[in-house]
Amino acid sequence: MKVSTEELDGGITRVVLDGRLDIQGAAAVDLQMNVIAGSCKYLLLDLEHLTFLGSMGLRSILIPAQAVRRRGGKVVLFAPVQMVEDVLKASNIDTLIPIHHDLDSALAVFQ
Amino acid sequence: MTSTVHWQSSSNLGHPVLVMPEANAQIAGTQLILRSRLEDLALVAPWLDSLAMAYDIPSKTRFAIDLCLEEALSNVIRHGYAGEPNQALTLDFSRDILKGLTFTIVDNAPHFTPPEQAKPTRMPSSVEDVKPGGLGIQLMKKFATTVNYEQLPGGNRLTLGFQVGTAKRADA
Repeated sequence: MKVSTEELDGGITRVVLDGRLDIQGAAAVDLQMNVIAGSCKYLLLDLEHLTFLGSMGLRSILIPAQAVRRRGGKVVLFAPVQMVEDVLKASNIDTLIPIHHDLDSALAVFQ
Repeated sequence: MTSTVHWQSSSNLGHPVLVMPEANAQIAGTQLILRSRLEDLALVAPWLDSLAMAYDIPSKTRFAIDLCLEEALSNVIRHGYAGEPNQALTLDFSRDILKGLTFTIVDNAPHFTPPEQAKPTRMPSSVEDVKPGGLGIQLMKKFATTVNYEQLPGGNRLTLGFQVGTAKRADA
């Protein structure tokens, strides 16, 4: 499980999650995700290369999202593959954090 | 190297007891034997890959199985065995033309609340309201075709069924 970040215009932090966000993956990225979330206001979570998402992995997304939102920031989920999106929908996360498959529309959320 | 699970009658209760083999978790064809450690869950994905290849399991069904097994096995390890690291879990796979793909998890843990009786997780109204956790049973119910739980005299048996090609969609 790999995490990489990219600073975009407008103070947006793009975080790319690559691999399996299962129990082991969640344990591997939690600290890094929390550090990132602690210092950014606009968080674009790029899920395009996420091949698996379980309930512990959902925690790794939700807890940083909560931290950003509590400080008045915004979070967007970008480009999950179909089955990962199904997990997000089954958990009702899609009604709380917007999911976008088009980058321009994802970035527009932060305007 | 192969590994077997031994069922034997306990002297006082007369019910089957799962005896952990000396070797650590090992893959033995359609059976996977794990110890009650979260790190042993890393063995499930490669085992599932080998089954998917051998039985031509479609990727969507494989994902659903992967998800349900992680939720079910981690529930047994974290809650059933309450963190005790050297207890046994067995995971068996079978395929039937009518029943589809079946995965059976047997453990020696105390009985737990059957999935069908588990309280549905309250849907939060905002991100801030979300209490991470408690989604495992909900995900199993949505992604498996069938979820059956049985109390054994000395443990639990959870059976997860998946129909190939008709994997339930989460938004269905």
